[in-house]
Amino acid sequence: MTELLVILVVGAPAVAGLATWFADARRAPWLALAGLGPAITAGIALAVMVFASGPLHAFDGLVAIDAFGAYMLVLVLVVAGIALAGSPDHLASEEHAGALRPHDTGRYYALLLWFVAGLAAVPLVDNLGIVWVGIEAATIVSALLVGFSRTPQAIEAAWKYLILGSIGIGFALLGTLLVYASSVGVMGETSDALNWTRLVEIAPRLDPAFVRLAFIFALTGYGTKAGLAPFHTWLPDAHSQAPSPISAMLSGGALAVSLYALARFHLVAVGNLGPAFSSTLLVVFGLLSLAVALPFIVAQGDLKRLLAYSSIEHLGLATLALGFGGQLALLGFTLHLACHGLVKSTAFLAAGRLVAERGSRRIGRLGGSLARSPTDGRALLVAALLLAGLPPSGIFVAELAILFGGFQAGWGLASAAAALVLALTLAGLLFHIVRVSVGPGRSRRHEGAHEIAYDSAHAAPRTAPRIAPSRRSAGRAILLATPLTLVVIAGLWTPSPIAAAFDQVVMVLGGGRG
Amino acid sequence: MTFDPRFAAEVVDACAAVIVVLGVLLVATRSIGRSIWMVALQSAFVGLAALAVGLATGAGHLAFGGLLAIGAKGIVVPLVLGSILRRSSVRRERHMLLGPRTLLVAAVVIVFASAAAADGVTSGASVATSRVLPAAISQVLMGLLIVMTRRKALSLVVGLLVFENGITLTAFSLSYGMPLVVELGVLFDVMIVVVVAWVYARRMLDVFGSTSTDEMRSLRG
Repeated sequence: MTELLVILVVGAPAVAGLATWFADARRAPWLALAGLGPAITAGIALAVMVFASGPLHAFDGLVAIDAFGAYMLVLVLVVAGIALAGSPDHLASEEHAGALRPHDTGRYYALLLWFVAGLAAVPLVDNLGIVWVGIEAATIVSALLVGFSRTPQAIEAAWKYLILGSIGIGFALLGTLLVYASSVGVMGETSDALNWTRLVEIAPRLDPAFVRLAFIFALTGYGTKAGLAPFHTWLPDAHSQAPSPISAMLSGGALAVSLYALARFHLVAVGNLGPAFSSTLLVVFGLLSLAVALPFIVAQGDLKRLLAYSSIEHLGLATLALGFGGQLALLGFTLHLACHGLVKSTAFLAAGRLVAERGSRRIGRLGGSLARSPTDGRALLVAALLLAGLPPSGIFVAELAILFGGFQAGWGLASAAAALVLALTLAGLLFHIVRVSVGPGRSRRHEGAHEIAYDSAHAAPRTAPRIAPSRRSAGRAILLATPLTLVVIAGLWTPSPIAAAFDQVVMVLGGGRG
Repeated sequence: MTFDPRFAAEVVDACAAVIVVLGVLLVATRSIGRSIWMVALQSAFVGLAALAVGLATGAGHLAFGGLLAIGAKGIVVPLVLGSILRRSSVRRERHMLLGPRTLLVAAVVIVFASAAAADGVTSGASVATSRVLPAAISQVLMGLLIVMTRRKALSLVVGLLVFENGITLTAFSLSYGMPLVVELGVLFDVMIVVVVAWVYARRMLDVFGSTSTDEMRSLRG
């Protein structure tokens, strides 16, 4: 049973991707749904099994799913579902703008499916080497998606993403193989020498010098992929230039999965070196990311970059929580990543729509969105308020839990600094979102010289697809409203099965068996 | 088929020496065409070293991985990169961050620094590979140096490959490589990086008219 479900989670999107690649524009979305639907169902079934009856093992030690893995799997698949549901609208607006080539639709969905398959494989496998392979494969596939629109800026962003991502993650491979080298010394050259289930068990016997170095490399590598400062420079480019559903997937899913990989290294390092070493590093880089994101959020002029920097901020906070440790902060971490995934993916979908309608990404030119496109304008407003951390929302509760957890665990100064940065970020985000929602919208005549100058320098003036304002669509309203509503509810009430599941995740992250 | 372990050790040492020399030349050259075939040759020697140790110790996965690496990175990759080079008008790195002479000095410094850094690391693998670790570290650093100082898309991919060769060699010297599934996965990822780089280099040619990343400076802030 477990085997079958695992095959469905990874295999169904991967195989459906092959068929989708060659499909025409009408069939492609349905084929994609046929691949992702079973994967999501199977993923949720696996998670239910794990939370009900403990960790699952399959394929002779290749697959091991504990509570943390199950949680991450569901998170990735749900965000993938949101991204897929938002894709037809995005492609329709691209087509309207004449930016779509004949085979593009099929290829877009195929790449999206492979991206999801790569990410979904990561929380399933018990092998740190294959974790690396999955994240790198997902990175490369998504690099093709980042540059999908073929504008000069998109190509630049994709190229940076590909090269910086590959170098960064090369360091993670070095970290992985240092762990392997030290575990081979303990266990002998067995096939499970890279299995994190075994590594956590034998952690006290590993060579500390190797583990220390391995964690530093893993932090550099997966930190690059998770957008931690100072390795984040590719992120605002990639997340802002990608098609909006892909931005949703990158911010909500890919970043979380990278943090998952880092967390596994953290658990091995804690088992070997005690909590001080890796926790301190996580706190430092988490704080740094918060601090680096702040000025770029406050002074941001581009709506999608604003959301990208907000992802750096939120992933910094999650990293901080992981470093704090302790029941409360880890519970905050669990709630926070899930809520961020839901809200940020919705925010990108709404922002993408506004940008497509108005033909500009500049915040100053998007004013009055609330009146012009009620559905997406409202969704973006609510999403931004949630991202800023206003109550009632799961993010607000999670942030409180993380900050109090930090004080509780003896990180008073770091918590206080984080609280200050969060408050300032809130102010910056509110300022921008008020401008977008009710600010003055400028006419086309006044649009700035920058884009025009850029367009005339290059032959492809496709930066400004302008489409008719959306008619009210019930489907789109439901798509955008559901994740946001869930996050608001999460701030008021947690159903007991979810609370129990989160407790199990916290157990794993706290070093216990979940 | 068995292999005299002492002979295998000699083969591995010779491979390490060739790999380092190729690395130094790669750091210093301006010619993109030459750097493509040199990195292919370097990858082939990395594969050859794995093959020799695999045969000598009877570790089938090492030998198999080595053969596969020779085929994939020694033959397929240079063909793919060569096809971009033929379309592109740029054949040389005109503006490197550092001149060839400075780079040559830097490469030599890296070689000695790596030897010093690797000194005293107790390796899980046998004596046959004790000289490989300094070579491995030096290639990781040289790969980074190439990426930092070059501006053309193809040169960056070459730097990435040198970096990756260094990592493979590190894996091989610390622990006789990684489990076969992982090695195959890594090789697969390297191949798709090259293919995706090929796709983007073609798009750059279409959109910017060159594969120079100098053209790409619009994203800031």
